[in-house]
Amino acid sequence: MSDDIIYLDYAASTPADPRVFEHMREVSQIAYANPSSTHAAGRLTQAIVAQAAEQLGRLLKVDPATLVWTSGATESDNLAIAGAARYRSHRGKHIVTMKTEHKAVTDVFETLAKEGFDVTWVDPDSRGLLDPDAFAAALRDDTQFASIMFVNNETGVVQNIEALGSICRQRDVLFHVDAAQAVGKVPINLGALPVDLLSLTGHKFYGPKGIGALYIADRPGCHVDPILFGGGQQRRIRPGTLPTDLIAGLGMAAEIAMGRIDEDLAHLSTLRELLWSGIREIDGISLNGDPDGFPGILNVSVDDIEGESLLLALEPICAATGSACNSKLQEPSYVLRALGRTGMQAQSAIRFSVGRPTTVHEVEFAAGRYRDAVARLRQLAPGDAA
Amino acid sequence: MSTDPYSAKVRELFAAPAHAGDIADGEALDVAAEDVRLRLSATAAGGKIEALRFRVWGCPHVIAAAEAICQALEGRPVTDLENYTSADVMQNLPVPVEKTGRILVIEDAVRSLGQQFRDKT
Repeated sequence: MSDDIIYLDYAASTPADPRVFEHMREVSQIAYANPSSTHAAGRLTQAIVAQAAEQLGRLLKVDPATLVWTSGATESDNLAIAGAARYRSHRGKHIVTMKTEHKAVTDVFETLAKEGFDVTWVDPDSRGLLDPDAFAAALRDDTQFASIMFVNNETGVVQNIEALGSICRQRDVLFHVDAAQAVGKVPINLGALPVDLLSLTGHKFYGPKGIGALYIADRPGCHVDPILFGGGQQRRIRPGTLPTDLIAGLGMAAEIAMGRIDEDLAHLSTLRELLWSGIREIDGISLNGDPDGFPGILNVSVDDIEGESLLLALEPICAATGSACNSKLQEPSYVLRALGRTGMQAQSAIRFSVGRPTTVHEVEFAAGRYRDAVARLRQLAPGDAA
Repeated sequence: MSTDPYSAKVRELFAAPAHAGDIADGEALDVAAEDVRLRLSATAAGGKIEALRFRVWGCPHVIAAAEAICQALEGRPVTDLENYTSADVMQNLPVPVEKTGRILVIEDAVRSLGQQFRDKT
């Protein structure tokens, strides 16, 4: 990373651990054959893929055979949601999710709605948490599928996956969890959780970009229709030649994460507390999300500040706005609006996300820069905006 | 092609707007739109704009445009306010097309300020 950048956007992406790249380099030298080939070179590559599945399986505490490789969380979410909803559509077409899900989830639900599925969008409370009773009330006799994210990408709010999944099990509803922000960052005993499908991606936990996985529980009735078609790889669920070096990198990232999740969480908690304590006295500041959420994310709004100008004034800090950058004009975050924030509060939101390499010095600098930026923009504004 | 949404000019004007502030005893005007809140104040002497200051709430392009407009008009005849067009500023900063409306809010404010000067004379 360049010296003139202070990177506080680890929820957007993380740098791959050097051991990940070293492992990928070694693998690419020896395991270049197609893992579908049955000759000796192909079998060698297949063994590398199997090793990575075991590493990821150990992190999640699941059988490696339940893991399907994808290009990342977006594809995993698409495959899980469209695939499961279509697979179960002969039994019913009601599907459920919540308003604060990632676009990789909400856009699939909107696409399915156009196909004739009936979608219920559940609201979170003002902290972003989904009340299990409200979730249960949204399920109907014809509900076949539900998708709720583990850790929210904007606010860090952690949902009660065990309670929500138990409700789904009781009602025979397939339950998908978008865990892009959770895997490798918070302990997940997936094998013991009532979860049928779980999406993850490598680059959110110091693995390579372009590789992810979908967990599909080995249970009766739990299956997805494919969304890609081609060769018969991965039991036809997700065809395509496996990117061996990326898979090996994801496996290595999983192994590294497994040995240090508690240490990472303690580090992130210290940093988030330091950052929040450095800015919490600012007049009109508010925390978006749950103080007990994932400690890698701190999302704050501040009254009467324009978000885009705030982000520019924060340079050289690289953080994220509360805006959904799906148009050239930045719109206030739909996630924060769903938490009851006003458009003005949502547009001023900044998501700081800290990571393994983040230092105390960096977050202290960020707190100071944030205080200065807010003061400068308030001084610049007309009296009625201050 | 640069992926930076801000030109060097926009960054420079945003970072150090020399015309930010108020003129306490000047002619003043406030406007409030969804994406822009602006206060312009000015003094004139001998038919010329002596000083022109702004306070603004808005995106970086709005802040940079407010500064650029004050720079361009200070020292010009007061009648230039009424006839002001922001086309040069939009082109020179430049301002992305989706933000054109925000700059037009400033343009209208400058013209209204010109009318206030005319109404007083």
